[in-house]
Amino acid sequence: MGAKVPRNFRLLEELEKGEKGLGAEACSYGLEDGDDLLMSNWNGTILGPPHSVHENRIYSLRIHCGDQYPDVPPDVIFITKINLPCVDAKNGKVDATKLPCLVQWKRDFTMETILIELRRYMALPQHKKLPQPPEGTQF
Amino acid sequence: MALPKRIIKETERLMAEPVPGISAVPHEDNLRYFDVTIDGPSQSPYEQGTFKLELFLPDDYPMTPPKVRFLTKIYHPNIDKLGRICLDVLKSNWSPALQIRTILLSIQALLGAPNPDDPLANDVAKRWKEDQNAAIQTARDWTTQYAKK
Repeated sequence: MGAKVPRNFRLLEELEKGEKGLGAEACSYGLEDGDDLLMSNWNGTILGPPHSVHENRIYSLRIHCGDQYPDVPPDVIFITKINLPCVDAKNGKVDATKLPCLVQWKRDFTMETILIELRRYMALPQHKKLPQPPEGTQF
Repeated sequence: MALPKRIIKETERLMAEPVPGISAVPHEDNLRYFDVTIDGPSQSPYEQGTFKLELFLPDDYPMTPPKVRFLTKIYHPNIDKLGRICLDVLKSNWSPALQIRTILLSIQALLGAPNPDDPLANDVAKRWKEDQNAAIQTARDWTTQYAKK
């Protein structure tokens, strides 16, 4: 087992990866406020997966990393309206008991892990044809 | 996991013979993670301020440098809004012969000798070059506002 990277240095690593665009192409994330020394609030986007109702749609999300991150997962909330079983239809909050990577959270998971898994979840056979709200509407 | 002897020795020495104006205390639950304070050098705009930083020794330390960041807001051309520091010994000029102690002294020296020609905070560096007196006054104001002892 290696050294345990503290929260802030972990978030700096994630920020640098996000800024350099080294991550997956269809997902991106960045700090909501570039002045926030605590680096708590982040914006994420997911490009809807192809061959699904989400194709060509862009979904915005808000991610909140609390004091205990990455020992506990962040709060993830959709800003763009979406119809998905793991998302609260009233407020866009991702249900941490329904998305596998949040249920079985590990310390080396990142915000990118979550965004990629959400995108995969959107493309599942049982989800990819769910009727969706008009494009661009918000919670 | 056992902590490498090198880290234990450095920590012991930091405790036994602290550097004046600098403190570094490891977290009880993570001995590679230090709470640091650095006093602003005299005759600098950071005089009378105490700045909080955090320092982390990665797995491959001392083959790679420590990671260090300011937690106190500071107006300085080589320190950005998130407290990241542009300093050669933290990057390309790191050598395993350097230590936590020497790095913290280098950071303290950087406060006394800002280098706007190698900026990290571009807006600050620009102002530092165009109107040095005004920039120094802002640095003083921020010290009073955010780093008061």
